[in-house]
Amino acid sequence: MALVTQPTPEGTGVPMIRGDAAKPGRGRRFGRIGPNLVLIAAAIFFIAPLVSMTRFALQKVPMPLLHWSTIFDKWSFSALTDAFREPSFSDTLLLSLRLAFGTVVVTLALLIPTALFVHLKLPKARPIVEFLTVLPYVVPPIALVAGVAAFFRPNARWFLNSNYSLIPFYVVMALPFTYRSIDAGIKAIDVRTLVDASRSLGASWPSTLRRALLPNLSASIISSAFLTTAVVLGEFTIARTLSKQTFPVFSFDYFGRKAQGGIALALFTLVGSTALLGLFTLLTRRKSRRQTTRF
Amino acid sequence: MTAELIEVEGGRTKSAAPKAAKIRSGTAWFGLLPFLLFLGLFLVLPTYGVVRKAFIANDGSYTWTGISDAISKEGAAFRTSLKVSIVTALLGVVLGTLLAYAAATATRPKWLRSLVSAFSGVAANMGGIVLAFAFFTLLGRQGLGTKMLNNIGYNLYDTGWFDLTGFWGWSTVYMYFQVPLMVLVTLPAIDGLQASWREASSNLGGTTWTYWRRVGLPILAPSMLGGFLLLFANAFSAFATAYALNTGSNLVPVKISFFLQGDISGRSPMPFALATWMIIIMAVSMGGYLFLRKRAERWRS
Amino acid sequence: MSALTYSSVRKTFGPTVALEGLDLEVHDGELISLLGPSGCGKTTALRIAAGFERADSGTISVSDADITNLPPHKRNMGMVFQSYSLFPNLTVAGNVEYGLRTRGIPKPERHKRVGEMLELVQLTALANRYAHQISGGQQQRVALARALAIQPQVLLLDEPLSALDAKVRATLRDEIRRIQTELGITTLFVTHDQEEALAISDRVGVMSNGNLEQLGPPTEVYRHPSSAFVARFVGSMNELPAVVRGPDAVAVGGYVVTTPAIGRREVGEPVLFLVRPEDMSLGNGEAAGISGTVTGRTFQGAATIVAVRLDVADSLVAVHSSGSAATHLSPGDRVDVVIDGARGVCETPVSA
Repeated sequence: MALVTQPTPEGTGVPMIRGDAAKPGRGRRFGRIGPNLVLIAAAIFFIAPLVSMTRFALQKVPMPLLHWSTIFDKWSFSALTDAFREPSFSDTLLLSLRLAFGTVVVTLALLIPTALFVHLKLPKARPIVEFLTVLPYVVPPIALVAGVAAFFRPNARWFLNSNYSLIPFYVVMALPFTYRSIDAGIKAIDVRTLVDASRSLGASWPSTLRRALLPNLSASIISSAFLTTAVVLGEFTIARTLSKQTFPVFSFDYFGRKAQGGIALALFTLVGSTALLGLFTLLTRRKSRRQTTRF
Repeated sequence: MTAELIEVEGGRTKSAAPKAAKIRSGTAWFGLLPFLLFLGLFLVLPTYGVVRKAFIANDGSYTWTGISDAISKEGAAFRTSLKVSIVTALLGVVLGTLLAYAAATATRPKWLRSLVSAFSGVAANMGGIVLAFAFFTLLGRQGLGTKMLNNIGYNLYDTGWFDLTGFWGWSTVYMYFQVPLMVLVTLPAIDGLQASWREASSNLGGTTWTYWRRVGLPILAPSMLGGFLLLFANAFSAFATAYALNTGSNLVPVKISFFLQGDISGRSPMPFALATWMIIIMAVSMGGYLFLRKRAERWRS
Repeated sequence: MSALTYSSVRKTFGPTVALEGLDLEVHDGELISLLGPSGCGKTTALRIAAGFERADSGTISVSDADITNLPPHKRNMGMVFQSYSLFPNLTVAGNVEYGLRTRGIPKPERHKRVGEMLELVQLTALANRYAHQISGGQQQRVALARALAIQPQVLLLDEPLSALDAKVRATLRDEIRRIQTELGITTLFVTHDQEEALAISDRVGVMSNGNLEQLGPPTEVYRHPSSAFVARFVGSMNELPAVVRGPDAVAVGGYVVTTPAIGRREVGEPVLFLVRPEDMSLGNGEAAGISGTVTGRTFQGAATIVAVRLDVADSLVAVHSSGSAATHLSPGDRVDVVIDGARGVCETPVSA
């Protein structure tokens, strides 16, 4: 065998790099300057709009007068409370909350049985269902609403007259997130074994679903409910185009009349959604802790 | 006890197997019916409606003029939309990858990585009017950021290139969701880079640059290319942010909305032709994204 | 000429001392295994040689050239990782070629060398596959070829076999040894598997808590462990509470065992007497032994390990038996255990 010759440092084809043995290795600390700069720049970019929005919403000092000396002046919630007093405020907020609730209910009623069914009875349909659930990415809200105009306006105008006609389209919009969340939850708990165990212990299908499956899926159910709510509370495209007075549409119109009030409402939406997220994180964390102690 | 339990389970599985097989043969698909009907009614039919209307002329005959008119008459909107989408996608890919890398390799505060990933999850979905309003207060003519830049001697609006309601304004605002979206796409890929590859490379005589050129970037490439397509699609279809910044924006989604609201009769094929083009563009870029994501996952075992 | 030398190499990670002044010479063409439990510092020693960690103090040199401060990519060392670490975007051939490209070797020679290397590890047929298309054992052989292609002065193997299943492990282990001998390459091999270390090394270094406890040929380390730690870690040991009876004898219960391991202990001093299972046998009635009760038996093919609870000292021991008699034993049977103390080790028991 024409093998590699004796692996000596010199004399082979491999140049032996050597000579600057005394040169100290590059310090690891210097390697972090770039990444740290990126992190700091990102922090500024992502926090600045939130700070400026908060200031604009809650401080009644016009920008030209804002200075170091006036930075603590005239902070108040009055722009927000004025907005709260608008007659449309409670109507639209209530509508949006109802829409969110309806969307959550329809989403769960539709997706949980479907996802369970696919996992338990029809695994070969999984790629198809997964493909269908990403379709809403291909038909973005603005195209979907064009479709609503094209199909439902001429064929089922009565349907569009109801404010709640938005619900099914919101379900479709949130589908990529919600299905993935529920699907991941089902994958994580190994439904097959749970169902087999529960059924072998004599439980009927409904009680298996209620007592074995749903409690174990609660984390992903809560998570998809939150995602859905966030989508609905921020949705503007479809509601605007179909002329439905939802809360985001009201905020936008109010901004046209009272800039500060509109921005206060946007801040209100943001803080509300974030609080919801915090609540949901807390809920799921407690849930998972209970699960780990139980098993 | 245990043996009995196993017996019972074994017996059950045996008796259940033929039943399951019988169900599977045909009736099983009925279980999907509600889901399929729902999607058919609220996604497929509207989509079909859009495409059909795009091809119907005012007299009811089928025609290509609507589709070609959309390009010829609204070419400017397409150009602007493509430009914004490509620019923000490119910048988003680069900045998002850098941010993800910085977060993934940071060791100091332990919570930093999960903070970046959680925030990205929220911000990536934070389009819409809230975002537009936030940037209005920051970089509008009377914005806090504009004023602060002015104080350090840089007048943003005097330089002429920037206007919040213009190209670079949209692009800046779009970055707020583009970068986090890229972080979400690329963070798993960066996590997949094993430290020992880097060590193996330097052990074999490679410098940091050699490693990135021959190993690191080629491994990240499918994720980055896929991320580009996803970000492109994301920007191309974004409506609410652009609309809230400037209701007259010359972007394809804003044009669709404009034509839809302007023409109650629903006769004009223009909004539907534009929407059809959008669906085509979405389908191509999302298909490419899903394909590349598969490719990127191939190496992760 | 010594190929790889550690002189007083010390390394700490925060409060943890990973290496406590390591002195080690791997001779030219020699294969030394560093053996020890996880956290004993063996991997740190290897990574310091590769340049991935920097020693706090001490020097490391190859062929008398100080490389302590040389960055990894300028050291001419081939390393094989536990996790294979093949570049997933490159083919098998591309992986092997990697180090040759960084060295700017012209294409024809690169191809020739890649061919030779793949032949050496018998993977010529898989040259165009990717890492995810071949098995773990094959991946590790590619990694070996990749490390050897650059004709390193020293080959570093970081637990290269521990991710593989038992059968592949044994084959690859022998193959590593064959190739190493064939090339005569100086090799440092890190492992926690004593069987592996004993099987392929010229010398074995047993490490614990950052210290090299014993360095010697496998037979010596196994037969004459220098400390109780080495004795326990290399091979298995029975531990019997005993009392020193004389300059060359201990008593286990009333039973006296002759052993050279007393050292400078006084008569009457309590000790723990460590004996390998193969130095214990079941008595056939001729020689006197310690009586006990069989509690279990593990058939291992060539031999049978019998677990016996000794009447004296109440200790459970494993006895190696190659005869067929042991296969008939069942729990509860009474047996005599005969101890050969020639290779025993004494340890001062830790008083509670």
